Amino acid sequence: MDDLQFRRAIYADPNNQDADTVAAQKEDPSKKQFAQEISKLDERIKQALHVPVPDDLCNKLILRQTLASHQVHKRKNRVHLALAASVAIVGGLMLNFLQFSSAYSNLGDYALAHVYHEQGSITNNASSQVTLTSLNKKMAAFDGNFSESLGKLLFADYCRFDGMKSLHLVYQGKTSPVTVFVVPKNEQLSFSNAFNDKQYFGSSIEFNHSNIIVVADKNESLGQWQQNISETVSWSI
Amino acid sequence: MMTKQVRYEALVKALHGDLYRYAYWLTHEKQVAEDLVQETFLRAWRALDSLKDEKAAKSWLITILRRENARRFERKRFEMSEYEEATITDTKSVTTEQELENHWLREKISQLPPEYSEPLVLQVLGGFSGEDIASMLDLNKNTVMTRLFRARNQLKEALEAEPVKRGTYNG
Repeated sequence: MDDLQFRRAIYADPNNQDADTVAAQKEDPSKKQFAQEISKLDERIKQALHVPVPDDLCNKLILRQTLASHQVHKRKNRVHLALAASVAIVGGLMLNFLQFSSAYSNLGDYALAHVYHEQGSITNNASSQVTLTSLNKKMAAFDGNFSESLGKLLFADYCRFDGMKSLHLVYQGKTSPVTVFVVPKNEQLSFSNAFNDKQYFGSSIEFNHSNIIVVADKNESLGQWQQNISETVSWSI
Repeated sequence: MMTKQVRYEALVKALHGDLYRYAYWLTHEKQVAEDLVQETFLRAWRALDSLKDEKAAKSWLITILRRENARRFERKRFEMSEYEEATITDTKSVTTEQELENHWLREKISQLPPEYSEPLVLQVLGGFSGEDIASMLDLNKNTVMTRLFRARNQLKEALEAEPVKRGTYNG
């Protein structure tokens, strides 16, 4: 190893423990001296580089991290709260939807369901009778009026027709009561002109603001009922 | 969670001094160096899970710190293109002979071009081998060794060039 190579190696790394440099130092005392010199220089450089570290730096670093992770924690909590709130809102909406949306999509289906629900509570030969005057009082809520009675009116009262206030009339029919609904028009239920099932059939008449639905068993003449209604009912608007 | 905290605190305690000194020699300003170390450890905390080998922690942190330092220059062009000699001096009162010499040598080191001083700091303070430094600075090993050689050479020459002033202290 020549002198220049040796010097370069020592300069580049004074603690060089390569076999070549160690051997060169053994052979040549001047090289050894040089190496020691540079080693001393390096020691001084090391001391010079050892600038004092601020005493509180360590604590500051830990503090800052603690604060930062606390922030993250808080943010996470906020996210959890938001999630819980979202779930609550969705739950509320679902409940609302289930409670207030109709299970029936058209007038006919609902009317039939309603009739089945009340089946048996009014018999065809019931003695009670509602007068035309009291019927028309009730009809006033729908701005309507019957000029004469359609038959023997057994029952007349407001009821909920899929959440809407409507008038539920039960007339005496040939074999079983005939049900007439006066229902305000509504977007929710699609208008169904005629409908039927095994026992009943029915039809709807569309007026400006209301629909009148007749449901009767199959012995009745729906057409006749429809005609009678159309002739006797009048609307004030 | 707790183990991460413990790991982090151990990391800070063991390495914040080395990292601060490295940052100081990179920036030549105490306050900037401190900020840089804080940024570095904050990033290290976030990425602590990616540190698998504890032995590599030091070079990992130094890599983060160098990246942070580069970012600092991206953010704003540094006003001081050339630092004043006076600003880099250690303001600690110079009392002992040793301190005086350190003070003088520090000035000389900070006058070295950064591409020379950086590997020197990494080698002397960090205790990294030529290969380690080469991979950290993205250079090849021969370049690193040449720069180390030049750095020491320049310091030695500077020391020898001041015999009159220093003679009284060296005896």
